[in-house]
Amino acid sequence: MGEHIVCCHECDELVHISNPYREGRFKCPNCGHLLFRHKEGMVEKMFAYALAALVLFVVTNYFPFLSFHVAGNTSHANFFTSIVYLFEEHEWLLGVAIMMTTLVVPLIRIILYLALFGPLYFGYIPSYSVLALKILSHSLPWGMLDVFLVGVLVSMVKLVKMGTIVPGESLWAFLALVFTIAAMQAVFNPHALWELVDRKRQEKVMV
Amino acid sequence: MRAIDKGFATCHICHQLVKMPEKKGGVALCPRCGEVVHQRIPDSTQYTWALVIASIIFYIPANLLPMMHVHTFAGTQSDTILSGVLYFLETGSYLIAAVIFIASIIVPITKLLILIYLLVSVRHNKPIGQKRRQRLYGLTELIGKWSMVDVYVVAIMISLVHFGGLSQIEAGQGANYFLLVVIVTMVAAMQFDARLIWDTNTEKEKNARDA
Repeated sequence: MGEHIVCCHECDELVHISNPYREGRFKCPNCGHLLFRHKEGMVEKMFAYALAALVLFVVTNYFPFLSFHVAGNTSHANFFTSIVYLFEEHEWLLGVAIMMTTLVVPLIRIILYLALFGPLYFGYIPSYSVLALKILSHSLPWGMLDVFLVGVLVSMVKLVKMGTIVPGESLWAFLALVFTIAAMQAVFNPHALWELVDRKRQEKVMV
Repeated sequence: MRAIDKGFATCHICHQLVKMPEKKGGVALCPRCGEVVHQRIPDSTQYTWALVIASIIFYIPANLLPMMHVHTFAGTQSDTILSGVLYFLETGSYLIAAVIFIASIIVPITKLLILIYLLVSVRHNKPIGQKRRQRLYGLTELIGKWSMVDVYVVAIMISLVHFGGLSQIEAGQGANYFLLVVIVTMVAAMQFDARLIWDTNTEKEKNARDA
């Protein structure tokens, strides 16, 4: 391995890194932007988190997260039925935006994490790594489950005045899911994965 | 040493260093992931200005039109963003009032002001306070998605409260416009190229070398 050079994405500074596999954060010396962070055992941790996230995602979507009682009437809301209801009410823009940010993007990200780190855990670099890493990079800002959690809490307080509000079973799974996703984001280091992809390609050329 | 002075650019997806063609404004393909690599995001300031202006325009109906209509047997009540905040202040829910006020009023306005300030300062191209400006840019990226809170609240409430004549909540047009404000400002922040803040150094170094 020769010298390792990374270009800071925010200020265009060329940064020489002597050992990118040292544990910790690597920051740009010019502007302080976080270049990447490296943690030991990323593959194992990511595989475990992604499995946990998938289970939690299924639980979150299967059970209602809020129930609302007023004057003998009850309604439940889970992710899927609320989106269907929005479409029935012809709130297309709201419906599509919420479906993308709380259902489609998080699910795609969890599945891609699993598809990447599952094979990596068993010591094999999948052929679709480049595509998966690209989609993960593009979709990063559009997964908004953490914002949705705050939205749920705010609407609970708002609805308390109108009737009885009961937190559903899936609210707890949802809470755990948000923290699991945050943990994944903290461990995930695309830089190391791109290096792996690079090395695999070079080996192919040599053979 | 900066990449632009060495004739290199970095791939915005996989951060691979790519040797750029000599011609100004030329593009290259990233050898690792195949993405098109530009030295700078092309026409970054123009796109960002356009999106900022669009979101300012969307922000006006987002505030004037009601976010949601609450129908109960006592009548219909329509709330805009600001009247919702005032309602919570009057009834004593200060925490909720603060959350909504920060997420739907302070965050979008701060973001737009920061972006406008950055766009103007990049145009003047002075090497002053670059680190501070860069921090401001980081802030816009960080807080961007949190204004979605109010949109989610509206969506959750209308999908929970639908009991026909007894009580029913409908979304107002304001919610749609506010959603557009959030998405357009997020795209505007992505379109802005933070490296432009630091590009004054290049000119200075060039002049120093020529002299």
